[in-house]
Amino acid sequence: MAKCFALMGWSLPVIESMEKLGKPYVVVSFPDFEPYAKENNIPFVPYQLDEWSDTSNSLDLFEKLQPYGVDVAVPLFEETVEWAGALNSIYRGDPRVLNRAFLFRNKAMMKRKALIGGLRVGLFEEVHNKEGVKAFMKRLNEANLQLEGEEDSWVHIKPFASAGTVGHRLLRSMSDIDEKCEDGDFPCLAESHLPGREFSCEAFIHKGKIRFLNITEYVHLGYSNFIPEGHYLESKRQLIHDHVQKLVDIFGIEYGMVHPEWFLTENDELNFGETACRIPGGHILELASKSWEFDALAAFVVCHDPNATEEELDAIFPPKDFKPKNYHGNVMIYPQKRQFSKLEIPEELNNEPYFVDHTLVPPLSTQKISDDREGFGNHFGTINFKGEDPDRMTELLLHYEKVDFYV
Amino acid sequence: MQEASERIFQNFEQSFKDFAEATDLTRRDKATKLSSQIDVLSLTRDGLTYLYQKSSLLDEAGIFEGTAWNEPDKLVATLVKGTLKAGHPTSSFEILSELRLLAYARADAESSFISAREAQDFLEEVVVHNLEFALKEPTEETRSVMSERELKKAYNLFGFIVSEIDLHGVYSKLAQEIKLICEQRPIVTRKARELIRLVDQRFDTSGDSEIDRQVRHYIHAVSAPTVHCREYESTEAYTRFLESCNPSTLEAEADAMGHSMSSTGLVSKHHAALLKFLAQKHPELVPNCLDLNDRGIAEWEKFHEFVTTIILEVVSPSNAQCIYGLARMLGQNLFSRRPVRVGLENLRRIKLNSQVEKRILKSVAHPAEEVTALQYLLGGVIKVLGQPLGVGQGNNPTCQSARGISMWSQHAPAKLIDMIITVATQNNLVMRYENHDLTSNQLGKGLLEKLDYNLDPVSVILVPHLDKLYNEMMKRSSGRGEDPHKWVNPSMYGQWIQLGFASCYDYLSNSILDFEGFVRIFYASFHPHYNGGREMAYPNPVGIFITSSKGDMVGFHAVSLLRVAEDDQGQVRAYFLNPNNEGRQDWGQGIEPSVYGHGEKFGESSLPIHQFTARLYAFHYNPLDIKELVPKVPEKELHQVEQLARASWGKSYVWNQQIKLW
Repeated sequence: MAKCFALMGWSLPVIESMEKLGKPYVVVSFPDFEPYAKENNIPFVPYQLDEWSDTSNSLDLFEKLQPYGVDVAVPLFEETVEWAGALNSIYRGDPRVLNRAFLFRNKAMMKRKALIGGLRVGLFEEVHNKEGVKAFMKRLNEANLQLEGEEDSWVHIKPFASAGTVGHRLLRSMSDIDEKCEDGDFPCLAESHLPGREFSCEAFIHKGKIRFLNITEYVHLGYSNFIPEGHYLESKRQLIHDHVQKLVDIFGIEYGMVHPEWFLTENDELNFGETACRIPGGHILELASKSWEFDALAAFVVCHDPNATEEELDAIFPPKDFKPKNYHGNVMIYPQKRQFSKLEIPEELNNEPYFVDHTLVPPLSTQKISDDREGFGNHFGTINFKGEDPDRMTELLLHYEKVDFYV
Repeated sequence: MQEASERIFQNFEQSFKDFAEATDLTRRDKATKLSSQIDVLSLTRDGLTYLYQKSSLLDEAGIFEGTAWNEPDKLVATLVKGTLKAGHPTSSFEILSELRLLAYARADAESSFISAREAQDFLEEVVVHNLEFALKEPTEETRSVMSERELKKAYNLFGFIVSEIDLHGVYSKLAQEIKLICEQRPIVTRKARELIRLVDQRFDTSGDSEIDRQVRHYIHAVSAPTVHCREYESTEAYTRFLESCNPSTLEAEADAMGHSMSSTGLVSKHHAALLKFLAQKHPELVPNCLDLNDRGIAEWEKFHEFVTTIILEVVSPSNAQCIYGLARMLGQNLFSRRPVRVGLENLRRIKLNSQVEKRILKSVAHPAEEVTALQYLLGGVIKVLGQPLGVGQGNNPTCQSARGISMWSQHAPAKLIDMIITVATQNNLVMRYENHDLTSNQLGKGLLEKLDYNLDPVSVILVPHLDKLYNEMMKRSSGRGEDPHKWVNPSMYGQWIQLGFASCYDYLSNSILDFEGFVRIFYASFHPHYNGGREMAYPNPVGIFITSSKGDMVGFHAVSLLRVAEDDQGQVRAYFLNPNNEGRQDWGQGIEPSVYGHGEKFGESSLPIHQFTARLYAFHYNPLDIKELVPKVPEKELHQVEQLARASWGKSYVWNQQIKLW
C-alpha cells in the first residue's frame, strides 16, 4: 500500500472517503482552501495549480510533498491530470507516465493514438479557424457522396482539453459554422458525427487490467444517467469489456480509472468517442457507489497505487459476481425559463415510488439566467431515483428533465 | 400510494443512515438531501407522524448543526412564520424543529437543552402566532408569498401540533380570535365554526370566568342555543318537542334563539327547525325568532306571505346559516324593493346549468341530500343581500370580484340577482367595456389559477366570470401610461364610482410622484375636517400596499373605503371593507386594522385615517368638488402620512418630489 496519496484537487466527498478508509493522504489545491483545511485538520499543501513557472512546477511540488511521504498522485479534476502525471512519472521513474497524461488532455492526440491502435474513431482534424471547419465539412460531404440539395454532414467541434461537454458544438450545416463558431473556439478538434447509442464506462485499472467495470446508461447526455446499464447494454457487457481492455492496452494505462465514452451501433460495432482519467461528472461515482454497494471514490484513489495488494483491492471492490439490486439514476435540473422566482416541486413527485431525494434549492429572489451558458450551464440541483426497472427509470428521467421546477 | 409511502420511509432511513455516517465534511450536503425527504414527508399526516418519531433522533444526530435551529432554547416563536414562508429547504427544517419540540413537550423524548415546559410554552406561542395556518385561512400577504405546496405543509404541521399538544396556555387567545372573527359577521362561517369546535373539544369551558361564559355562548350558538335544543339533539326530535309546547315556552324559545343569532351571527340547525315550525304554525313569533328590529317587523308584516314561501323553500338544517341573512334583509327593508322581490321570484324558478350546479355543491362542506343546489344558491343570495360586508374572497386572489359583489349587494341588489340568474343558468356573463362587449366564456384565464371552493354559493359561481372580465378589462387598458384601474373600476363596478382617479405611482417615471399632492386630494375629498363635512354616499374602490409586520412592501390589494368618521374617542378613522376578512393583521409600524371596538359596523375594518392613508396608492374622487378644498389641508397632516409611507413600502420605490398637475 502507498505510503501517502496526494489528492490533486479539492473534493470533500473524496476527502471523506479517505478519512473513512483510514489511509494517509494530503490534499493539493489552491491556497483558498487552506483555512477550511486547517479548521478541519485536513492535511493540505496549498499550490497555485493554474500557474507553471520557476516557482510553480512539478519538481517544486514534489519537494513540498516529500515531508508527507507521498508516493502516489491522484488527479481528481481534468485540470490536474498533467500535475498528477508529472508527479507519478517521478514516483514510478517512468517519464512516459507524464506523456500519457498529455494524451488525456489533447483530444486530437488521443484519437490518433486510438486510431493507430485499431479502435474505430470518426474522421477528425485539428482546425484553426472557420474556414478550416468549412473545408473539413466539405471533404466530409464529398466522402459521404453528397448530391446537390442534400444536407451537409454533421461536424462536432470541441476544445482539445476541456471536460465533458464544455465548448462542444454540433454543426449541422455550412451556415451553422458561421452562426455558431466564434474566434475564441480555435484551435480545436473537428470530427465527424459518430452514429450509435452513446454511453460511458468507468474502468478501474490495476496493473494494466480492468479490475472493475461500471457501465453508465446515458439517458440524455448532460441531463440524466443511471447505473448499472439497462438490459440492452448489459447484453453487450463482454463486447464492451473487451473494447475497454483494448483501449487500456493501446494507451498503455497501468493504474487509475478511465472514463471513456462510446457509441454502440446496431451492428454491435463500438465507436470510440473520447476518454478521461479523472472523476466523471454527473455524480456518476455516487450512483455507482449506491448500485454496486462500494465506495467508488475510495476505489478510484486506491487503484492509482501500484503497491496496492490483491487483498486490499478485493476489500474495496464489489465481489466479482456481484449483481446490483437496484438501478440508481439522477436527472440534473435546469430552469426552463429565463426568469423565475419560485421553486415548485410537482405533486406527482411525492407519490413517485422511485423518487429518493433531491438537492434543489429555491432561486435567489427573482433570478435570471445569463446568456453565456458554458456546456450545459450550471444545473440547479439533482433529483435522485432508485428502482428495479431500467425502462421505468429511463421514462422517469426523460420526463423530469422537461418538468419546470422553477417558475 | 401505500407502497409509495413505504418506499419514502425506506429511502428516508437510508438517507438518515448516510447522514449519520457522514463526517463533518459532507454533512451539510447530506442534510440538504434529507431535507428534501422531510419536505415530501411533511405533506401527509402519516409522514408527519413518522417524522415526529424520528425528530429527536435527527436532532441528536446533528441535523440542525450549523443552522439557526441548533440551540432550541434560543428559538424565537415569532420568527417561525417567516421561516415557513421562506420555502424549502428552510421551511422543511422549521417543520422538523417544531416536531422535535413537540416530542420534548410531550416527554416522548428528552433534550439537554430545553425542558418539556419550555418546549410547551414555545409551541403554544407558535400556535397563537400562526392561527392562519391552524385554521387554513391565510392572510393576503401569506397567500402572495407561499406556494400551494408550502401552504399545505404549514397547514399539515399546525393541524398536527394542534391535535397533539395541550393547548391550555392559548385558551384566552383562541377565545379572543373567535370573537374577532364573529364580530366581522362573515358569510362563510366555516372558520369560526372550526375554531369553536376546536375550543369545545379541547378545553373545559364550564368555568365561571368571563372568557368561559363568552366561549360557551359561541359554542351554544353553533350547536344548541337553548336548553331544549340540548335536550333534543336531532332536529326531528326537536320539532316534535316544539309541537307539544305551550305558547309561552315557544316564545321563550324564539327569543333565546333570536338573541343567540343576532349576538353572534351564527345559526344552529335547530334554528331552521324552529323557524319553519313557527312560519307555519305561529307566524306571530317569527319576528322574535329572527330578533327583528321595528323596521324588520313592519317588513315581515307586509311581506310575510312571500317571506314564508322563501323560508319553507330555502331554509333547512343544513342551510340554516342563511336565516341570519334573512333577518338582516328584513331589517334593511329589502323586500320593499319590487325589483328585489321580482328577482328572487325569478331565481326560484330557474333551471341551473349543470356545471354551475356542481360548483355550488362543491362549495358546501357537507351537502345534505334533501337540499338542492338551487336551495343552497337561494340561501347564498339571501346571505349576500343581508350581509354585504360579510363577502370574502376565501383563499383566492380575487379581491376585486369580492369587492364588486359586496358593492352591488349594497347598492344594486336587484342588478346583482339579475347577474346571478344569468350566470346560474348560462354559466356565462357579458359586460361592456369601452364600447366592446366582453363575454366571459370567450376570455382567457384571469388571476385565478384554481378556485378555492371555501366560498359562499354566490361567489363560487360569479367569481370565475368576474375574474376573467376584470382581467380582460385590465389587459385592454394596460400600456396607457396610467393605472388601468382608472378606467376599469367605473366600468366594472358601475356608475357609483367617481371618474376622477388619483394614484401616487407614476407609470412613466416609475416613481412615487408628488405624494404630498396625492394625500392632499384624498384628505380634501374624504377627511371630514377638510372636505366640508361631507359623508361618503358610495363605497370607493381603493388600492393599498400590503406590507409585512416589519413594514416591508409585499404586494397590492383591493379594498373598499366605506366611510370616514370620528369614533367615540374623537379620532377620525377610515372604515373599509377588506374582502380578505382577517382580524389579526399587522401591517407594520403599529398599523393594525381593528374589526370591533372602534365604531365598526359588522364586517368593517378600521384604521386611524393617517395610518390608512399611509398604505393607500390609488382611489377615485370627484375633481370638480374639491378645487377650493385642496389647498386648505394642513401640511402637518400630510407629513405625518408621508413619514409612515416613506419608512415602509416607500423604501421599495424612488420618490419624485416634482409637483404634479392633478
